[in-house]
Order: sequence, then structure tokens, then C-alpha cells
Amino acid sequence: MYIGIDVGGTCTDAVLLDRGLVRAMAKVPTREDLLSSLLEALDEIMKGVEGELVERVVFSTTVITNLIAEKKYDPVGLILMPGPGLSPSLYRFPTDTYIIQGAIDYRGREIIPLRLTEVDQAVAELAARGYHKVAVVGKFSCRNHRHEKEVAARVRWNYPDWHVELGHQVAGQLNFPRRVVSAYLTCATREKYQFFVRSVQEAIAQRGIKGAIFILKADGGTLPLESSLEVPVETIFSGPAASTLGVQALTPPGETAVVVDIGGTTTDLALILSGQPLLASRGARVDDMLTHVRALAVKSVPVGGDSVVERVGKDIIIYSERLGAPYCLGGPMPTPTDALRVLGLTRLGDVDRAREAMQMLGAPLGLSVAEVASRVTTRVIETITREIEAMFSRWEQEPAYRVWEVLQKKKVRPGTVVGVGGGAAGFVSQIAARLGCYPVIPPYAPVANAIGAAVARPTLQVTLRADTEQGIYIIQEEGYQGKITERSFNEEKALELAKEWLCKRAARHGLEDCVEGLEVTRREVFNMVRDWVTVGRLIDVTVQTRRGILHHVGAGGTSDEK
Amino acid sequence: MRNKKTGLVFFPAFDWAISPTHPEREERLLYTRDQIFEEGVLDLPEIEEYAPRLATIHDIARVHFCVPRVQSQVTEAHLIAAGSATLLADAIVHGELKNGFALVRPPGHHAMRVVHGNRGFCNINNEAILVEYLRRHHGIKRIAIVDSDVHHGDGTQDIFYHDPDVLFISFHQDGRTIYPGTGFPNELGGPGAYARTINIPLPPGLGDETFHYVVDNLILPILEDFKPEFIVNSAGQDNHFTDPLGSMRFTARGYAEFTRKLNPHLAVLEGGYAIETALPYVNLAILLALAGHDYSYVREPEWPGTMPENPERVARVQRVVEQLRNVWENRDRVDLDKIFGAGTFFQRRKHIYYDTDYIEEEQLERVRRCPNCPGYITIDSRADHGYGHPSRVFCVSIPFTACGACQTEAYDAYEQARGLAQYQFVYLQDKSTDTFLAFDRDKDQEWVSEGPKVGE
Ligand SMILES: [Zn+2]
Ligand SMILES: [Zn+2]
Repeated sequence: MYIGIDVGGTCTDAVLLDRGLVRAMAKVPTREDLLSSLLEALDEIMKGVEGELVERVVFSTTVITNLIAEKKYDPVGLILMPGPGLSPSLYRFPTDTYIIQGAIDYRGREIIPLRLTEVDQAVAELAARGYHKVAVVGKFSCRNHRHEKEVAARVRWNYPDWHVELGHQVAGQLNFPRRVVSAYLTCATREKYQFFVRSVQEAIAQRGIKGAIFILKADGGTLPLESSLEVPVETIFSGPAASTLGVQALTPPGETAVVVDIGGTTTDLALILSGQPLLASRGARVDDMLTHVRALAVKSVPVGGDSVVERVGKDIIIYSERLGAPYCLGGPMPTPTDALRVLGLTRLGDVDRAREAMQMLGAPLGLSVAEVASRVTTRVIETITREIEAMFSRWEQEPAYRVWEVLQKKKVRPGTVVGVGGGAAGFVSQIAARLGCYPVIPPYAPVANAIGAAVARPTLQVTLRADTEQGIYIIQEEGYQGKITERSFNEEKALELAKEWLCKRAARHGLEDCVEGLEVTRREVFNMVRDWVTVGRLIDVTVQTRRGILHHVGAGGTSDEK
Repeated sequence: MRNKKTGLVFFPAFDWAISPTHPEREERLLYTRDQIFEEGVLDLPEIEEYAPRLATIHDIARVHFCVPRVQSQVTEAHLIAAGSATLLADAIVHGELKNGFALVRPPGHHAMRVVHGNRGFCNINNEAILVEYLRRHHGIKRIAIVDSDVHHGDGTQDIFYHDPDVLFISFHQDGRTIYPGTGFPNELGGPGAYARTINIPLPPGLGDETFHYVVDNLILPILEDFKPEFIVNSAGQDNHFTDPLGSMRFTARGYAEFTRKLNPHLAVLEGGYAIETALPYVNLAILLALAGHDYSYVREPEWPGTMPENPERVARVQRVVEQLRNVWENRDRVDLDKIFGAGTFFQRRKHIYYDTDYIEEEQLERVRRCPNCPGYITIDSRADHGYGHPSRVFCVSIPFTACGACQTEAYDAYEQARGLAQYQFVYLQDKSTDTFLAFDRDKDQEWVSEGPKVGE
């Protein structure tokens, strides 16, 4: 049996899945103490079920999101080696930042040596200001981490008990400023996250569950809870990923669909293209800082069932904030939910109060209750539809760097609009109608997020970059730099090597089963030519474990997605 | 009103090359990509990346006579490079962007009006396609192209040689020392477009300081007089001190300062073959300059510092600058008949060598000296591919602002050539109505290409 738990901002949802069927589900309010909400939900779905029967528990949590949003972490200083390029004044990070000499180029060659005295000076000043955590990041450190390591060693030599985080260890992709932010946030949250993980492990053990515990990441993959300690920031934004995977699990395989998750104050939109959730092309924005955190492409629209509706002059305006429950549920202001109630599109709340809310809005304009209600719902539907269209065109506008990529770009439009979340029922059919799609509200829609967590697959990837002219290779995710000894090293050998590393990595995380059906997601080879002679090759290979869900949920099926 | 953003189309064409070891190959913009990505430049709010798009066959036919037809001279990569420039131009004209950089391959500034094959790594001329597109789709009349490639932009010069509304300025390494061997101060445009072509040959080994002397004392003052509605920079980067083809000593910072001063609406990448030592830094610096950011921290690893210039060479450049300023200032007072003769037609013979495809072309170009318009042009072109019979074609081009008489005469010339057995293909390019005809003698067939009407 599988358990999925989604600790959201207002509710904690949980499901117990037994061979693809929902055995139990729970919805409890999320309290300040996340752990207690988590356990309450867990206990509710576990009634009469032996802990030993649970093979895996996956949960998504807002713990890191909240830590960052509320800035509940120790200050982290930055020591950076940006080298030549953008003016350092363009890199504005929200903490004390020291820029020191030293630079690596795009092929990992040192172009400016380090000056360790500058490190000493920076740490002395940081120490004087009360820091004991520091992130060290160099430009192109993902191509050669020597400078970062030397600086870290120097920091530790000065202050052995300091917590030092290195850029190349948190992100292997190019983009220095994002690497800085990712390292900074990792450094800031690691300790507190560690504490949280330990409490979860303890609590779950107390419930007699011996199955594996996983945590959902923003990209919709899971990690063993223990391994997530390495990358706490990747657990941010796992909520929208959970509901997207839930929809994937609750709809037929291979479909292109828009996921519309209508909550109280926001509506989250996501795309499933030919059965796979769309990943954002760049890392997520966290607390208004750009990071390397891989995430599903989710667009949050600031409108939901509880959004405040007001009349301003001759116009009726929907605001992005919430001032409590809808009027029909005893709240202070009219909301879209009231409009739905009047139109008979929901059964929530008191219909007379809903009519009263519409009356307040419409009377000065001489509009009937029904007219106001349809105007309000139309506004909501228009806003969401416009954002969906924009999402598709943004996806079509993704840059392409190869001729074939430009040529194969075609306009893909969804066939279905899948609604989940509280407000879905009232809006989804009309949104779908506007887009020319079928509306779908799957069974278990209110707990789709917990279902998504329960069926999410573990994901691991390995990116290998080989430079045969210099005779070196790098495993980005491991921060490993090795030598190429074979003279005949080529693309095929690079691929083999990458797969070997992925197996090693999987073993380290206890995920040996996952290496079946590996996918090669990137494969690039460039000949390096100097003076008309090929002097070497640059080979980039990314291999990953199969993405997606373990199985579909619903019509009694356990059919593994093939 | 110019807003704040700089548009970028980055199209490195990682799957397109002239040949595996040719300088114009897949690897060319690889390190530029790494540098731009790693800097996080694309996350700056002032820079917006756009997906590339393809130019249409019609966009090409508006500029070139491709023999036998457009499809046989261009690959998709060419269409994407040209289309990316027009895409950015659309966004600039619509006010979405203040300026843009088409950081694309393949380049185009050696492609001339008639295209028998590849010259100097170019098949079609991205800037020229852009100019005709701007006129047709946006009604922009006066356009300036400033070519900062180390090689003379002979293709662009050829296409606009008789066009009074397009100012073409090229500075480059002296043609006696580098391909394509042209671009001297006496090449000033035809009788209808005198001094609309300005060439500034520079002695090899010249650095930033003298480069900026030329910019400040010649290029910027001329642009100020000409008052173009749109400025295009043919942004070749092979003037860099590490370029393997050129012998100049410009730096990334020198290029960036030039970009800041020129303030072009659109920069379109041309040459530049120091793919590791120059391109990542020069491209970054240009992009920052366009976006109005500080580029003073961009420094190539081999940066030599400021270099003393050879005073004798500097003096030579100063003389050329002075001479060209004179030409420019007196452009409306010269007796054109004295220079070009007084006939109804001005004609010139051209010998064109296609270095990549080893084609020898002979041309007779004639332009009608019309008092009411720039005059129509005919070209009798014979290309020797080194095997079989040379192919001979006849081309007629009607300018955008043609008068009725020129239009009628041009159509007559096309009809007449269709009746002459020596021409395998006869072409008519009517820019005034955006219609293009091609006649294939062997098949006894005529193709017509009519572009979308304005506003479509
Ligand atoms: Zn060039
Ligand atoms: Zn005329």
C-alpha cells in the first residue's frame, strides 16, 4: 500500500492507495506545527491498517517554502568569484557579499588565479558581523570546482565549525547568479530541514511504518527523505507538482491536458503534454530570487473561489486577496463562490446569503442577481482562460538552438481541461468550452494532490560532460572531476560512463530498482577544430530514470504506465 | 517612444555547418552560449529572448536573384537567420523593444543581389532582407547599415549601390590585404545614390583608439546628417585582436563602446571566427551595451591592455576620414555627369568570385538614370561553375519607389529577355508591387511569387 500526504497552506490531504484503488482519504487543517497535521492525517487514513503493510509514504511539504518566506534562518554570507563579465553591481544578493579574485572559463580553465588572503579578509569581516554560514560560488564552477574547494578549505582552516556550501554541489547547470541563490538558500535552510526530517522519520517509525519514506520535489520526482537532506531547496513548491501528477494519475495515459487547480485565492495552471507534465525551462523563482530549482511549469493566477468581489463605479472587480470565507458561508464580502451558488453551479453555503451578496453588487447598477452572478463568473473564466492561452504561447515561444528544433515546433492544443480543487466544479466546464476542450473532473479530485504524491516516481539524473582535448570529464550532479584515460573515448563510451554513474548514484540513494528504462534526455557532441584540424570533442550527455507516475488510479487498474 | 527592453534571438544553429572543419561550423557560437548562460544575462529584466522564426521564400526573392531559384540556394538555417532579424525588427517597430541583437548563424553580408552560390560563407544577405522587409511591411524609408566586420560588406554594398534611401557604411581591413579585396574610398555608390556608400579601409594592426577616431569623426557625423529612421549594425567580430582571419586589434570593450555610440536599432551577427577567445566576450559586451548595462567588466583573458598605434598608419586613417568627410559634405554639389557620364543608363562590369563554391561570375549591370526615381536595374550575369556550360541569366529589378515609366520599361526589358535564347533564366523583381517573376527557358515556364499584402 502507498500513502500520499500533501501538506498544503490550509489543508493537509492524505490518501491510502491499495493496488491503484483509493482505500481511504483524509483532509485535516494544516496547523503551525506541520508534523502534528501530518500525523493526524496519517492516523485518519491508517485506521484499521497495519503499519507493516505500507510500502512507501510520499509527502510534499511547505516546510522549506515557509522557512524561506518567513526568513526563519540564520544569516548566510557570500564569497563569490565572478571573474570577468557582468558588472558585480548587477548581481544583487540579499546579504553581505564578498567578491574575490579568481576566475575559471567556460571550458573549466583557470584564467585568473585565486588570492587566498582575500578569503581570509572576507571571513574575518563576516565573522565580525556574526556570520557562521557562508556560500562560496565561482563562475563556471560547474566546469571546474577547484577554486570553490580551495576557498572552502581556507574558510574551514580559519573557522572549522562554519557551515560552508559550495556552488558546484547545489547546481551543475550554467547560470552563475542562480547558482549563488541556490547555494545561499541551501546553506540557509539545511540545518532546520534536517531537524524536520529527523522528526518525520521518528514519528512515522512510531506509527509502525517500515516502508520507504520519500519527499516530492518541485519537478514532480521523489527523493528518499534521507537523500533530500542534500538538496532541501528542491522540496519547495511540491504542492502544485503533486496535483499535476494526481491529474496525470487520474486521467488516461498520453493525453494533452490543462490542469486547473482552483483554490480559495489562487488558481494553479499546469500542462500535461502527451501524458507528461511540462517542466519549466528555467529554474523556479523562490522568494523573488531566481534559482536552479527544477520545477514543473506552473502558473499561479491570483483568483479563486474566495477572492473578494467589489463594485467600483460601473465596474465589478475581482481582487486577488481573500478576506475570509465566501458570503454564503458567513464571510464578510461577496466572492466568486457566491456567484456560483446563485447560478446553481455549487451547493456550498446558503443560497439566500449568496443572492444577498449579488444583490449588494448589482443593485446600484440596476443588474439582477443572476446578471451579476454571471458577470462575476465570466470574469473569473476569462482571466483563467487568458492565462491558459498565454501559457501555451509561452511554451511555443521557447527558444530553439537547432534547425530541427525550430522546424518541428508545432502548435499543440489541449484536448481536455481537468479541474481539481475546491472551485473546480463550477468553472471548469465553461473554461473548457471557451478553449474548445472537454471538461473533466476526475474522481477524487479534492485529494488529487495526495494521490499525485502517492504515485510519483523517484527521479535521479546524471549529466556528464567530457572534454577530450583536455582529457577530463565532469559528473555535474556529483561534483566529480575525472580524467579520461582512453584514447578512443567517444560518444558511446560517454553514454556508458554516464549510465554507470547513474547506477552508482541510485545505489547510494537506495533506488537500485529505478535504473531500468533509463532515458537519455540530452546528447550533444561538438567537434573542436583549431586551424582546420579536429583537436577534440565536447560531449554532453544527460541520463535520467524514467519520469512520471508509478501507475494510474481509478477504474481498478494497476496498469503500470509503459 | 523607446521602451527599456533589448530583444535577443540566439540561434547558434548547432546542427548546421558549411563543412566539418570550416570556420563557419556548429561549434562557432558554443562558447558564446556558455558565457551568456553562465552570466545569467537572459534573466536580466532588460533583456528578452525570442524564439527564432523562418523568413519566407518571398522575403528572399524581394532582395536576391537566386539561380535557378531561392530554394536551391538556401537551407532552413538561412531562412531562420534572416527570419530572426525580421522578427526582432517587427518587435522594435511595434515598440515592444528598444533594440535587438540577432545573434544568429549563418552570416550574410557577402551575398550579393545575384546568387549563384556561397561567397565568403554567405548565401543570402540577412541585413538586406531586413531592409526590404522594413520598407515593405513597416513603410520605413531611410535606413542606415553600418558594417563593423573586418571584411568589406561587399554584398550589402552591391545590393544598395543605387539606392539613395539606404546609407551603407563599412569599415574594414584594407582590401589589398584581405578577402574580398574591395571596399575602397572611391566606391561611393551609383549616380542615383552618390555618397550613400561609404568605405573606410583600415591598415592591418589598428586598435580601438583609431577605430573610435573613425567612429567619432566620420561615422557618427554622417549618420547625424542622414537622419535614418532605422539603424542596422552588421556586427562582424573578426576585427578582434585574436581573430584568425583578420589582422586588426580591436577588443570586446572597443566593440561595446562602438555599439553604445552607434545605438543601433538592430545588430545582426556577421563574421567572427575566434570562437573561444573573442566571440564569448564580444557578444556579451555588445549585448550589455545594447541593454544599457555596464560592460567594463567584460575582459577577454588575453586582453593586451591599450596598445600603442603606429603613427604612420594612424595618419593614413586620418587622411581617409578627412577625404570622406569632404565627399560627404559636398555630395549634393558634385557634377554627377562628370563622374558617371551623361548617358540615360549608367553601366558597370563586375567580376565576382565565389571563394567557397569556386564560381566565376561576369556581370553587366545597368541602371536607368531616371529624374523621377532611383531607376530600374538590369543585370546580365554569366556564371562559370568550372564544369559544363556557364549559366547565363538576366535580372530586372524595379525599386520600391519606382516611377511609372521605369516600371513599364522594366517589364519591357523582362519580356524582351524572355525572347532571347542565351538566357537560361530571366527574372523580374518588382519591389514596388512586391511581385517576383522567374522564367525558365528549358521548361518554358514562368513562376510568380506574390507576397502577403501590407498589413497581412
Ligand atoms: Zn568577416
Ligand atoms: Zn523612374
